Formats: sequence, C-alpha cells, structure tokens
Amino acid sequence: MSRMLVTGNAAAAWGARLARADYVPAFPITPQTEIIETLGGWIEAGELDARMVTLDSEHSMLTAAGAAAATGVRVFTATSSQGLLYAMEMIYTVAGWRAPFVLANVSRALAAPITLEPDHNDVLAARDSGFLQLHAATCQEVLDLTLLAYRLSEDEGVRLPIIVNLDGFYLSFTREPVQIPEPSAVDAFLPAFDPGGLGFSASRPVSQAVAVLGGGPYSYFRYEMHEAARNALAVFDQVAADFGDRFGRHYSPVESYRCDDAEIAFVMMGSFATKAKDAVDQLRDAGQAVGLVRPRMLRPFPDQALRDALVGRRGVAVIDQNLSMGLGGVLHTELSAALCGVPNAPVLASFVGGLGGRDIGASEFFAMVDVAREAARSGMPPVPRLLYTRSELREMRKLQGIAAAERAAAGQPGDGA
Amino acid sequence: MYRIRFHGRGGQGMKTASRILGTAFFGSGFEVQDAPLYGAERRGAPIFAYVRAARRPIHERGVIDRPDLVVVADDTLVPIPTAGVMAGLGERSVLLVATGEEPAVWRDRLQLQGPILTLPIAAEERAELRFVGASCAAAAARLIGVISWADLERATQQELAPLGETVVVENLRRGRAAWDAFAPHEGLVVEGAEAASQVDERPDWIELPFEAARISAPDIHVAATSTEVRTGLWRTIRPVIDYDRCHRCTWVCSTLCPDSAIAVDTEGAPRIDLDHCKGCMICVAVCPTHAIETIPEGEAKHAESEEARP
Amino acid sequence: MSESHYRHMKDLPSTHLLGAGTAMCAGCGGLQAVHEVYDVLGEKTVFVNAAGCMTLLSVYPFTPFRGSWLYTSMASAPAGAQGVRDALDLLVAKGRLPANDDLQVVVLTGDGAAYGMGLSSTSGAIDRGLDFIYLCYDNEGYANTGQQSSPATPHAAHTATDSGVLGHPGFKKDLFGIWVANRPAYAATVIGTEPLDLARKIERAKDMRGPRLILALAPCPSGWGFDPGEMAEIGRLAVRSGVWPLKEYDDGRVVHTEIRRPRVPVEEYLVRQERFRHLFEPERNDAELSAIQARIDAYWECVD
Repeated sequence: MSRMLVTGNAAAAWGARLARADYVPAFPITPQTEIIETLGGWIEAGELDARMVTLDSEHSMLTAAGAAAATGVRVFTATSSQGLLYAMEMIYTVAGWRAPFVLANVSRALAAPITLEPDHNDVLAARDSGFLQLHAATCQEVLDLTLLAYRLSEDEGVRLPIIVNLDGFYLSFTREPVQIPEPSAVDAFLPAFDPGGLGFSASRPVSQAVAVLGGGPYSYFRYEMHEAARNALAVFDQVAADFGDRFGRHYSPVESYRCDDAEIAFVMMGSFATKAKDAVDQLRDAGQAVGLVRPRMLRPFPDQALRDALVGRRGVAVIDQNLSMGLGGVLHTELSAALCGVPNAPVLASFVGGLGGRDIGASEFFAMVDVAREAARSGMPPVPRLLYTRSELREMRKLQGIAAAERAAAGQPGDGA
Repeated sequence: MYRIRFHGRGGQGMKTASRILGTAFFGSGFEVQDAPLYGAERRGAPIFAYVRAARRPIHERGVIDRPDLVVVADDTLVPIPTAGVMAGLGERSVLLVATGEEPAVWRDRLQLQGPILTLPIAAEERAELRFVGASCAAAAARLIGVISWADLERATQQELAPLGETVVVENLRRGRAAWDAFAPHEGLVVEGAEAASQVDERPDWIELPFEAARISAPDIHVAATSTEVRTGLWRTIRPVIDYDRCHRCTWVCSTLCPDSAIAVDTEGAPRIDLDHCKGCMICVAVCPTHAIETIPEGEAKHAESEEARP
Repeated sequence: MSESHYRHMKDLPSTHLLGAGTAMCAGCGGLQAVHEVYDVLGEKTVFVNAAGCMTLLSVYPFTPFRGSWLYTSMASAPAGAQGVRDALDLLVAKGRLPANDDLQVVVLTGDGAAYGMGLSSTSGAIDRGLDFIYLCYDNEGYANTGQQSSPATPHAAHTATDSGVLGHPGFKKDLFGIWVANRPAYAATVIGTEPLDLARKIERAKDMRGPRLILALAPCPSGWGFDPGEMAEIGRLAVRSGVWPLKEYDDGRVVHTEIRRPRVPVEEYLVRQERFRHLFEPERNDAELSAIQARIDAYWECVD
C-alpha cells in the first residue's frame, strides 16, 4: 500500500481502477472531468484494461452504463450537477434494471442561476430513484466508498446501482493523503463481477426491462427494489466489516464523532462535515459536550443508526447543504421522520447553508450550537435558519446596483422591496 | 497548522507551486491539503492556490482566510482588490513578492505589520513567468524551514515530471537559487494556531427579506455592465501603436481584437482600451504595417509614471 | 456484390421467428416490417428499444422474441446499443463469452424518437462508428399516443394535433438524407409490403459492420385511418405512387432499388386514408393535391 496526495477526483478514478472496471461511458462536466481524463490516461497507457466511450450526453451515458451492466460487465461512470439532472430519466430507469454499477457524482449546485461550486441539491434529486447513495467527506473515503459500493451493488441481496458522492472543489480539486490499496488486496476483497442472471447471449435469450401493465405487477417490481435497498443496510455492515479487516479502515453507515456524552450534536453530510469536526474539537476544548453525526449513507436511509446516535442528545443542529423550496432542508425533514414519536428524541434545529459553495465559518458552527442548546432548554424547535449574514447582503446590494435591479422595480407599485 | 496562499495569474503555475510545496510537506511527514481555486476566468486572470500542512489530520477546508505566508508570483496583482492578495494578512503573516523592486519599496508602499520579502525576478523573466512556480515553492519551503532540500527536490521532480526532463532541470536550477537566497530567513514563517477562528466571534446572521421576482431573479437590467470588469489587469505585455507607422487602414486590429478593446476615433486612428486589453497581441500579429509593438507591462507602467512626474 | 439468396417470393421464410400474440394493432405495417426483418437477421439478435408502439411488444411476462430485448427510453436507444455492443465486445475479448454467443445489436425505434428526440444519441452513435442496425418503423406520427404530428408526418396530413383544414403545416423530414450525410456503412428504405426488396437489403446489411439504417414506412390503420385489410394495398400504393422511394446507400452512392414508370397518381394513395380526406371533401383542394404531386415528381426527376 502506498499513501499519496491525490485529489478527490483522482481518488474516484483510483476506485474505478482498483475495482478493475471494464467499461467507462463518459461525458465531460465541471468539476467531474478530471475523473474521466485520469481514467482515459490510464487506459491509453495500458495501466487499466478498460474501454472508455464518450457519449453525446449524460442521458446517453447513463443509458450506455446501464446497458453494459445489464450485458454483464463492470461499469464505472461519473457526472455532476446539470449532467445528473440531464440523465435523470435514465437514473430512475436503469435502477429498475437491477444491473449493478457505480456512478461518482461530483456535487455542484444547480441552475438557475448556473454556477460551479457545490451543494447537494443535485444528488438529492436522485434520492428516490432506486440508486443507493454513499456520501464521502474525505478523498480517502471517495476511494474506499467506491470499492465498498461495488461489493454492495453487486451483492445478490441488493443488485442496485450506487452513487458515490463527493463535493466539487472541496474534494474534487483538493489533494489529501490517500492510502492506495494494493491491487491484489482489492482483488481479494472485490472478486470479478459475477453477472448472475444478467447478460445477453445467443445461447440464452432474455428480454430485460420490459413493460408491465397494471398496478399490481408494477408495485411488486418497485417494492422489490425497496426491499433490496433496505437489505443494503445489513449488507453494508458485512461488506464494511470485511473491508475494515483487510484495510484497517472502518466505515459505518453513520459516523459519530465525539458523540458519546454529547448534549448537542451537529448532523450534516459531505466534506463540510470535517469543518464541523474542527468546531467540535474547539468547543470540546472550551468544555462543551458537542459531537458530530454524519450519515455516510443516505439511501438506504440509516434511520436506526441515526436514532441510536441521536437519542439521548438534548439538541441537534441539522445543517442541510440543500434547499427544497417551500419546505426547507431535506436531511432535516428525513431526520424528523426518523425521530418522530421516539421517546427522548432530541429537539431539532434546522439550518440551511453552504449553498453554491458558500462557506460555513467556525463562528457559525458555534452559534448553531447555541441555538440548538436554547431549543433543547425550551423544548421548542426554532424557525429554520437560512445561513446568511448582513455583510453578504451588503455585498449582494452592490451587485444589484450594477445589475440595476432597482430599475426593474421602478414605478412598479406594491413590490416587496 | 501552516497555512500558505500562492497568488498569480492563470498560466503562471500557482497550482504547480502549491503542489510542489504540498508534496514536499507530505514527504517531510506532514498531513497536507492543497487545492487551486479556479473561477470561470482564464489564462492571465488572477487565481490562487493554497496549502495547509499540520502534524495531525486536517479538518479545516476551503479558502485560507488567516494565512501564515502569502506568496505573490506577479507583483502587478498586489494593488488589485479582487485578486485578494492582502486578505487576512496579520501581524505575523509573511508576504513574499516576486518582483523587480526592492523590499523597502514594498514595505513603504504596503505598510504591513508583518515582514515583507521579495523574490528578485530578472528583467527577461518578467514578461513570461514560466518558471516562477517552482521558485515560489522553493522560497516558501525555505521560509517555513521544516522541509529539507532533498524533499523539495523530490517534490519538484514528481510534480513536474509529466512536463519532461528539460523543464524539471530548469525549474530545479531556479528553485535551488531561490532556496539558497532565502537561507538567511529560514524559519521566518511561524505555524499558525490549530484553529483558524476565535470562539467569541458571532455571525451577523439576518433574516433575508422577501423581494419581488423582478428584483430577486438573476437578471441584469442594463446593457454592457461587463465593462466594469477591468480585464486589463490580466495583461503582462502591452500592445503599443506607433501612430507614425499606422496607416489608418480598414482597422484590421480593431476588427480582429476579440475583446472589443480597440476602437477607432473620429480621426480614423485605432485606440487601445488598456482597461480591458488582456494582452493577447492578436493586433500585433495582424497589423499590415507592423505598427504595433509589444512592451512588457511593467516597463510600460514605469514609463507612464516617469511621464506623470512634473 | 454476392448473389442474393432471395430471388423469388418462394425464397422468403415461411416460418417466422417473431412470436404471435403481441399487443400491436391488427393490420400494423410496422409489425409486418419487423417480423420480415427478424426472419432475415435471425435470432442471434438483441433489440434495444426506444419508447414507441413497439415498446409494448414485450409486456411482462410475454415477449415475441426468440433472441433478446432491452427497453431503454425514448431518446437514448442508440446509447443503449452502444453499451450492449461494447459490453459484448469486452466479454468476448476477455474470454468471458464464447464468440459464437455474440449478437447483432439492433435499435428498434419509431419515427417519433428517430426523427426528433433520438437524433442526438443517433448522431453520436454514427460519429463513433457504432456497429449496429438502426431499424425505424415510420408510421408518420406519435402513433402510440394517438397519432399526434411528429417530424415524420407528411405535409397536409390530419393528426390529433393538426386537425384544421390545412392539416400538418410542416414537411416530412429526410431521415435517410441525414444518415447519408454522415456516411454510414449502409442505409436503406424498405416497406413490409415489398418483402423481397426488404429481405435483400437486410441480407446485405446483416453482414456489414458499422452504423446501418433500415427505414421502414409503416402504414398505420389506426393513425392514418384505413381498414386494416387495406394495409398491403396502401403500402404498395406508397411505392407505386413514388411517395416512398425504395433506395439504398452503399459505398458512397445512393441507388434506387425500385423505379416505377409510369407512377400511379398520388391521389390514389391519399384518397384511401382518412388523414387526407379533407383534401377531397367537402370539396377538392386541387391546389394542395397538385402541390403534393409536384413535389413527388420533382423528387423523381432528380433520380435519373
């Protein structure tokens, strides 16, 4: 094993390489492009025995990915943001094919307004598709979760494709030390893909992904996908235990950091969660009992593990790097459902922040703890807060001045400005 | 934790500088995080890259707002507010500027609390700062003082290997020169606090007011606001028209300038808009009478300030 | 060019690979073409399907195919073909599939996908030289949803979305021309009612490599408005009137495989279809009928 500095994008490519992916359908989009360029370079140099094909769109890319997996090869592909949305019809469709493969999504906020930096609305749009979702917080996790994802996806008890999510910029272009496992050790952990019942051949005719008429059969097929996704909770534990034995890195569906005696916990996903760890360390140094709970797995939703981690805390600050317009934070909503009616459940304080790469500063983490503690004291969940500062609005007013936003409003009675 | 920012222009190797330093730190047993920050802007535009290094896992992420060391590869960036070179410089922060001017000039000009050092850039290198990345990384490593030359050399070789042996050799030569030059200042950069922020700061959160869609949609209600962006700051070389040789032709330079930065005045003479000229030099290449010359931006600025004297 | 195996009608297969029992309408011209194509291609075929009428060929648990089938989406069947083709090649190359288990990959699409939404993925597959057959059954409208106008709908035809006195204002797109402009390995127009011509073309296409278009006009009793029993006659009239030229592109040249002289007046083709009845009733639209005839004549003038 060697430990080297690689970007999150390179870590994703290493995951595909060590998994010995046969096939990489591709389409470029910032900030994912380095993944396919890296794989293309390795294929060109003869270091990876795979075929890469650039399709005409992400919609086509996902179709080719699903079709190749359904034909019986190991497939890796990657996209981001608008690309994931452009492919969304096929995200839902190929999940129903029950053909396993891994898709790296480099999270980037969605249009409009079009932008480059990350939040999680892109990957959450795939939330109900049947794809399982694993969310990385470090470059090491990007690699390791990619390998775990293949085992999980290809398991007979699951057979669903998986998205491994990494944040654009904060992971994709950031180098961190990553242990690159020995290929032989990965081969022992992840044997060659056994297509099982999948595949097309002259001697074995099969009609895949056929239509159904009637809600009864349709419900059966969809419920079975749900059952497979629920199975993935237990299968993940087995696969992660095996991974931990072999590589010494142990992954649970939910990471708990300094939570044992925590009164207040942060709950958040992705790379910004390491910033929360820093805040936890500083608050602990100041004598406050604060911890972090981070779902690595969003689908299946690890509800029991989250209950285990959170029941007994007094207050929880849920930080959503996403926004469901007219509702609020998605993770907050899901967590509320998981804790509904549970005795001694903590009071949840909802925060939305980090949209479009907007930083969440240490002082904001500290302030969120104060809000959660006050909520716990009063027993009243506070009104959800959109993280935005006076100075940000002041900057926004300058931009609006250049854009002459007031001109659009001029002479228009009754506007809310 | 050490926090270092490298500022330069797209194409000047700031990502390479950050990677060389990051790899050298890593080779010296540090945990490391390094990243470039690109926007939508291009070659010549101000960019930066950063390195964090610590003896334990690094949880901090994103842009460094309290740097221990800021390295500026292109001194023309210092006065540009949007380049953000001066952001977060504290009393212990070291500023290293690659420049043709003396340190005293910069100390006088900037009036910072912390130390200012200069990395001398020879006149012939100033227009094309191709090798400045490795020099910046080497100077930074020496100022930090916890990285050996052997580790830096290995890191330089590793990061530049894809560019070929000649590039590696030339960068090592220049890197070594910078390394040696900063021997007297070894260890000047002091490791910052583990945590970047103080617990007593409070965020000035506000309730965002509702505003009607005609204000709150991402629309610009006035034409050509892009001219407020001074892309002339991207320029490292400048086209200068010799009006004695300019034939007032059919304005080839004006038509072919991609940035609409050459207008023709009422006399029929082309005038270069230096606030927006990016220095691509297409006008120089296409001028039928070879009436446009290429002058290094620094020289041109110097000449301007001489002229401005009473 | 080798001699065709199909010289006379009696050379055509009399037993058919495509199973009966599908949900296609009685008298479907598309199904007629598909079953004729399948007979020549043989069962070592995997159909990759785009959303359309034929998606309902395989409805769980019933399939008419003796070979294989994969439904994808409306826009991306050629990308599905890419994935299947590449995966089969990889499996054979890596020794995980015996070479004699390999399959011919065939996209099966309607005109709604082929002339519109599917063009991007089709263009990409041609760009990449994908080794596949692209079989389009062209019933000149979004027939599966009730015959709304598609980019393949002929000028003046009544559809569910163009029901005014003028019918469809647009003109049928030249999909064959789009393919030929991209220099594919092969392209041909066919119709199920000319089975010998169809069989010879499939026989040729079958052994080629690269992108190959088979564009089949598919007279549609439900969408065009005629009695199912008249489908064969409508199809023959489409050819004899010159509305549907039978041609092939091979080795850089377009050759017409059937040149009728004299051609039947187009009126005889139009008058039998409900979708053109407004050209004859309540009063004859002579101007439109002459214009349609003139366009057909102009096309054939260029053929010689």
